[in-house]
Amino acid sequence: MSALIHTTDVVILAYFLVLNTFYALLLVLAIPEIWAQTRLAEDEDFQRLMQSDALPPITILVPAYNESATIEASVTAILTLEYRNFEIVVVNDGSKDETLERLRHAFDLYEVPRTYPETIATQPLRAVYRSRTRTRLLVIDKENGGKADSLNAAINASRFPLVIAVDADTLIEPDALLRLTRPFLLGAKIAAVGGTVRVANGCTVTDGRVTDARVPRAFLPGIQVVEYLRAFLFGRLGWNRLGGSLVISGAFGLFRKDYLHAIGGYDVSSVVEDLDLVVRLHRHLQRHKIAYEITFIPDPVAWTEVPESIRILSRQRERWHRGLIAAMWQHKGMLFNPRYGRVGLIAMPFFTFGEMLAPLVEVLGYGITVVGLGYGVINTSFALLFLLVAWGYGMLLSIWAVVLEEASFRRYGRAGDLVRLILYAMLETFGYRQCTVWWRLRAFATVWKHTRRWGDMTRKGFSTP
Amino acid sequence: MTSRQFLLIVAIAQGVLLVALITLIVLNRWVRLRRSAAVNPRRIELDALMQRWALGQSGPDDVMQGLARLPVPLAIEALVTWSARVPGERWQELARGLENRWWARAVRANTRSARWWKRLECARFLSVAATTHDVGRVLRLLRDTHPAVQLAAATTLERIDSPVLVTAALEQLPFLGPTVQAYYASVLKRARPAVVRHLKQLFRRLDDPRLPRLIEFAGRLEEPVLREGFTTLGTHPEAEVRSQVARALGKFPHAESVAALAYLVHDEAWPVRAQATRSLGMIADQTTLSAVREALRDAEWWVRLRAGLALTRFGAAGRNALLEAEVGPHADARAMAGLILGLSSQALAEYAA
Repeated sequence: MSALIHTTDVVILAYFLVLNTFYALLLVLAIPEIWAQTRLAEDEDFQRLMQSDALPPITILVPAYNESATIEASVTAILTLEYRNFEIVVVNDGSKDETLERLRHAFDLYEVPRTYPETIATQPLRAVYRSRTRTRLLVIDKENGGKADSLNAAINASRFPLVIAVDADTLIEPDALLRLTRPFLLGAKIAAVGGTVRVANGCTVTDGRVTDARVPRAFLPGIQVVEYLRAFLFGRLGWNRLGGSLVISGAFGLFRKDYLHAIGGYDVSSVVEDLDLVVRLHRHLQRHKIAYEITFIPDPVAWTEVPESIRILSRQRERWHRGLIAAMWQHKGMLFNPRYGRVGLIAMPFFTFGEMLAPLVEVLGYGITVVGLGYGVINTSFALLFLLVAWGYGMLLSIWAVVLEEASFRRYGRAGDLVRLILYAMLETFGYRQCTVWWRLRAFATVWKHTRRWGDMTRKGFSTP
Repeated sequence: MTSRQFLLIVAIAQGVLLVALITLIVLNRWVRLRRSAAVNPRRIELDALMQRWALGQSGPDDVMQGLARLPVPLAIEALVTWSARVPGERWQELARGLENRWWARAVRANTRSARWWKRLECARFLSVAATTHDVGRVLRLLRDTHPAVQLAAATTLERIDSPVLVTAALEQLPFLGPTVQAYYASVLKRARPAVVRHLKQLFRRLDDPRLPRLIEFAGRLEEPVLREGFTTLGTHPEAEVRSQVARALGKFPHAESVAALAYLVHDEAWPVRAQATRSLGMIADQTTLSAVREALRDAEWWVRLRAGLALTRFGAAGRNALLEAEVGPHADARAMAGLILGLSSQALAEYAA
């Protein structure tokens, strides 16, 4: 028994060492990347770009399901984005509330015949509408088929070569589209670009715009601010230098439409459609030996409301992890497969072993430690010291994310916000992290249930800061 | 060293690092606040000086002194911001004056810097303050390895009238990504005579793989002297070239354009047919009505769509053709005519865009 515990212990320690060394590598790689991106963001003369006709036209895809409370404000905010050439395709996915009626009333919609082929198969369309007041707006009413199906319907209707999927409850900063096109303007072989998603809870929102960024006082959304900073500012930036991330947030990502067509659009059976889409995109482009980049740039910002209750947060995290497991299982052929380049040899193994299996290993580690202590195989002071180092490392990573934020974009101007950020970064390790491990662990039990639905999220709305 | 000692050292190192990082965050915030408190008044002062100079109430010397008092990146930022608001001649006077300033000389020297952000700074500066003496530097920056530097350097073409620079940019144009191409095209448009001259020479290189991109760009210029070149290329073996020719010819309502388009509307490649049909609609010459009506029965949906939209531009005759097709024997033409006739004028306008 003691030999078994000892061996498991060594395996877990080795896992811990390899994983954290990789995190350290991401952290180091994120430094030059954020520095370069900040330089480029500061050096751009956006007015000049706005005046040129070089900007690629963009279709904004807005899937909506039971969004009657926010849809009018969201669409109005999107319509006022600082971008020269864009259109919006809103898809009402068989909402049971008054989403379509609200749109019809707010934008004076009139029915038009469908004038485009159904390139990607979707649930049947009920009607297509244009607006008498806003020429950029197209509204599609269709049978309920889920978010991925709605996005596919919007892709079919889009006219422009670049498409961006935006959640109906996401607030995009006025210059975010302009910034997102920077990689395309710089001429690289870009297949997709992701921007930063930040937490809107606690911020002041006026006319669909975040006018005063604050770190929420409430613990749960506050801690998610640090989580989002860590995920975007050092996780994804580090991946830029390692051959591209597997994740571009579904709430804010710009894609080349021809590539989306080539992979058949979003997979309607996927639990987390954004992760699945990016993995399939990598797969397709690598298989066909197409030179490409899937990149992340930190300065275009979209704001989203995060869950404030444990119940909803746990469901969200479980769903995200379920999507990760399903995607990794579905694309297991890419794992350690040199045919897929760095994606197959670095990204897939990291997401499989470092992200997908992490909650299993962590719980196993806690369990073995307890058993080992019981059998006297593990020394108590050593176990406590190890726990301290492990937690301290997590804390360092979170603090590092705050350092990157402060060195680059400094969206939270008040001293109080900075203090709260540091505090949340330090507290995250105690309790919250263990909760997320448990929620993610539950995904292993529910992953086999094929549910195709919209992510549940009870929203407070943006009007109350 | 035992593993426990090792862990202890790691834990202590982590603690020290944690404290150091928090101190770094606080110090960084403090330094930035102090710096912005020091620089902001100077920036406001420069804005006031610029305002007075723009109104002709003071000379450029005051502005140059104000610029020298700011950190270089902020001075360049101010120049970029104000360059669009001040008339060309007055701005050139300032640009010439800046040639002798020490900080501007230091920025110019960065043309050869090993660091891309220094070269970018230089390119941005030259994009608003270049003089005829800077042609060599701009040429170098146009051929830079970093795309952001190239892009900033391309903007200089708006300010310096130099055939050398135009030729260099035009040579590069086909190798750039579509978005950068469009940006180059927008700045090259302003150097029209030199561009047209060079394009006419490039059109003669029939086996040049850059030809489709050059025609696309040339089409955007809408320059009548290029029309002849387009019609000649209408029989090019490359479908992409013919497609671009068909697209460009729509902007030249001329008998020769119509003849070339009437030929291209029967092309074997459907993108060429679609573009030719679209262009025939743009010219709306009544003699081509039958060709467009025939295109409404094309095997390809996109060609039929273009034909339907083109017919709406032929006035009453086009509308009658659509009405006939709507009840005619050809099923595809019937469906397309029905679709087009059901579109509102607003939807038609959007399709035409």
